[in-house]
Amino acid sequence: MEDAVNATISEPLDIVKLSLGERVFMKMRGDRTITGTLHAYDAHMNVVLSNVEESIHIVDVNEDGIPQAPRVERRSLEMLFVRGDGVILLSPTQ
Amino acid sequence: MDSPASQPDEPQQPVAGSPSDFLKNIVGKKVKVRIGSGIDYHGLLTCLDGYMNVALEDTEEWANGRLTAKYGDTFLRGNNVLYISALEDL
Amino acid sequence: MLIFSFFKTLTDQVITVELKNDLCITGTLKSVDQFLNIRLDGIRVEDPERHPHMLAVKNVFIRGSVVRYVRMAARAVDTTLLEDATRREAHNTGK
Repeated sequence: MEDAVNATISEPLDIVKLSLGERVFMKMRGDRTITGTLHAYDAHMNVVLSNVEESIHIVDVNEDGIPQAPRVERRSLEMLFVRGDGVILLSPTQ
Repeated sequence: MDSPASQPDEPQQPVAGSPSDFLKNIVGKKVKVRIGSGIDYHGLLTCLDGYMNVALEDTEEWANGRLTAKYGDTFLRGNNVLYISALEDL
Repeated sequence: MLIFSFFKTLTDQVITVELKNDLCITGTLKSVDQFLNIRLDGIRVEDPERHPHMLAVKNVFIRGSVVRYVRMAARAVDTTLLEDATRREAHNTGK
């Protein structure tokens, strides 16, 4: 079972290749996360996703400089190009 | 990048060696990958490439001492990687 | 090269470019180059109150490196074609 996985992953980008057409989770710089269906990628990790849900994790600071409880801003986007330099990680969703 | 011919007498030690020897040795081992934001990723190192892109299996995300997420296979983009350290003996 | 070709298929479509400074510019894609620099025509800014200096601007050249996202209509993209092209490119560049 483990061999079957390792046999097809000989370089890190193979994880991305195996996720083509599948739902993926991506963690981005700037406290953003994205899930979407992966349709294209390149070596820079530029990607094209559809049916995207983006979450922005925000910690507001009040007038006294006290950080407030973290909140999440969400939005849905039907088709999205993501520039690779903002990507931290990609993982296929189970 | 292979061992230079000028050092033929160097003893063959499993742990000491060049950085790329280290990277070769930790493939298949449990590792910790720290990224620039201070978050750690623990997992079985499937493979890595010249950009330090990393593939991990059974990944745990650790942020300030707490387990914050679990992923199956994970691709980590190399530019974010600060260091990779082995979590088991080589 | 793949993503460059992808953007070329979007020429004359209306797209929204979201920059890393959160500025969102909607306009018609006039051209794109290998660095993914983008030329937009007939532009409008998402939050004009916050960016009044953009009101007088009708077209822009956006340096590729400042782009975070590009949003577009789903009907502008043939996803099957894209995935096939991606597999072909991965096959040719990977050894």
